[in-house]
Amino acid sequence: MRLKNKVAVITGGNSGIGFGIAKEFFLEGAQGVIVGRTQETLDSSLAQLGDSFIAIKADVTNQEDLDRVFKQTHEKFGKIDIVVANAGGAATEAKLGSVAEIGEADYDKTMDLNLKSVYFTIHKALPYMNDGGSVVMIGSNAAHIGLPALSLYGGAKAALIAWARGFSLDLLERKIRFNVVSPAAIDTPVFEKFVEPGQVEAVKKQLVQGIPMGRIGQPLDVAKAVVFLGSDESSFVLGTEILVDGGSVNLQPFK
Amino acid sequence: MRLKNKIAVISGGTSGIGLAIAKRFVEEGAEIFIFGRRKDALDEAVRVIGGKVTAIQADASKLKDLDHVTDVVRKAKGKVDILVSNAGFTEQVPLREITEDHYDRTFDLMAKGPLFLTQKMLPLMDSGGSIILVSSAMHYMGLANHSAYAGAKAALRSFVRTWAAEFKGNGIRANLLSPGPFPTAIMEAQANTSEELDALQKYYANFVPMLRLGRVEEAAAAAVFLASDESSFMTGSDVVVDGGISSI
Repeated sequence: MRLKNKVAVITGGNSGIGFGIAKEFFLEGAQGVIVGRTQETLDSSLAQLGDSFIAIKADVTNQEDLDRVFKQTHEKFGKIDIVVANAGGAATEAKLGSVAEIGEADYDKTMDLNLKSVYFTIHKALPYMNDGGSVVMIGSNAAHIGLPALSLYGGAKAALIAWARGFSLDLLERKIRFNVVSPAAIDTPVFEKFVEPGQVEAVKKQLVQGIPMGRIGQPLDVAKAVVFLGSDESSFVLGTEILVDGGSVNLQPFK
Repeated sequence: MRLKNKIAVISGGTSGIGLAIAKRFVEEGAEIFIFGRRKDALDEAVRVIGGKVTAIQADASKLKDLDHVTDVVRKAKGKVDILVSNAGFTEQVPLREITEDHYDRTFDLMAKGPLFLTQKMLPLMDSGGSIILVSSAMHYMGLANHSAYAGAKAALRSFVRTWAAEFKGNGIRANLLSPGPFPTAIMEAQANTSEELDALQKYYANFVPMLRLGRVEEAAAAAVFLASDESSFMTGSDVVVDGGISSI
C-alpha cells in the first residue's frame, strides 16, 4: 500500500477521472476528501470509498468554498499530504469554440474553472499541507496540440506545466513537490453530459482517431500516474509532466 | 507485486541505477536477465539481487554480444515482457577536444546499442510489452562538455517516439526514463580520488534545485511504473526523475 497514512484532497473526486483517482488512492491505503458540487454523485462515490474518506460539497471556483474545504479537512484528519487539483473541464454554460468566437464572458467561465481554481486550490491548501507533501495537477494533451474548440482550455492546461515548475521552486524549502499528469481523451460521464444523446459513441470514436494507441483512456490510466506522483516513490520528481495520452502528443496520429 | 511473472532484460544491471532497477524488479516478482562486460561485477550483482536473476557476460555496444544475449533469453524463456536499456558512461570533453574514439564509444553504447538491442528483442515481445530506454535529464539541457553524451541521450528520446509510432498496432509500448544526477559508477568513473568524487558529487548536487543527488531507488521506482501495466496508456512519453534540474 503506497499511500498508507496519507491524507489526500481530490477536487472533482466525485466523478470521472477524479473518482478514478479517489478509488485508487483508497486501494493504496490513503484517507481523505473528495470535493465536488453535486451532492448526489458525492454520496454515490463516497459509498464506494469506505470510511476512510469524507465528501465535502464545494465549488472550486468559489474562494470561501475552498477555504472551508481545507479547514474542514485539516480539522478532520489533522494534516494534508497530497492535493490533487483535478476539477476542471467544460464550465457550466460556457461556450467552447474558436478564438474568433469566444468573448469575455465565456473566457472567464472557462478560465475560472480550469486555471484560477487550480491556483487557489493550491494557494489555500498550502497553509495546511505537510512539508514534504505532493501536489498533482491534472493537465491535458490540449496543452501541446491544437484540438477543435479547445484552444482556451489548452492554454489553461499549459499554464499548469509552468506552475508545476514555478510552484516547486517557490516551495523548495518546504519540500512540497508539484507535478502534472496530462491525459488524452478519457472515458468519463462528461460525454453523456455535453454530447447530444445518440452521438456519444460517434464522438468517442472520432477522438480515438487522434490517439495512436487506438483506444480512449480510462480514469484508472490517469489514477496510476497520480498514485506514483502522490506517493514517496516519486520523491526526486518535481516540476515535471507525465503524459498519459496514448501517444497523442509525441506520435503522429495518422493511421 | 507489480511485475509478477514478468520476464525482464536489463542492460548494465550490475551497478548504479541498473542494479537498483534489477533489485526492485525482482522484489516486484519479475524474473530478470542482466548483462554487462565484467564477470566479477555480474557475479557480485547476482549475489546482491538474489532471487530469479540470470547474468550474461556481454558488451551492450557490440551487436554480436547482443545476439548472444537474445539467444540466451530466447532459449531460457522464449519471450520478453520488459526491456530496459540502461548501460552507459560519461566522459566530460569540450567540443574542441572530442575525438572520433570518444564519439564512437559514446554513441555505440548509448545510441547504437539500445537500437539494436531493441531490434533483436522485438521478436520475443508481444502485446503488453514495455520498452524503457534510460536517457538523461541532460537531453533537455545545455551542460558544457557533454556533447556526445547528451546527443546520444537525445537520440533515445527520438527512438521511443519513432518506435512507439511503429509499434502502435502490436501493443508494445516504448518510453523514456530521464534521470538527473545520481551517485553511480558513471560518476565514480569520472573521479580519480575520493576527494575528487566528493567534489564532483557536490558540484552536481548544487545544480539540483533539491540540492541533493538522486537515490538509485528513486529511479527504480519510476522504472517499475513504466514497466508495469500501470502505465499501459503511455507510449512515446518521458518520466523525468531529476530533482527538478532540467526544468526549475
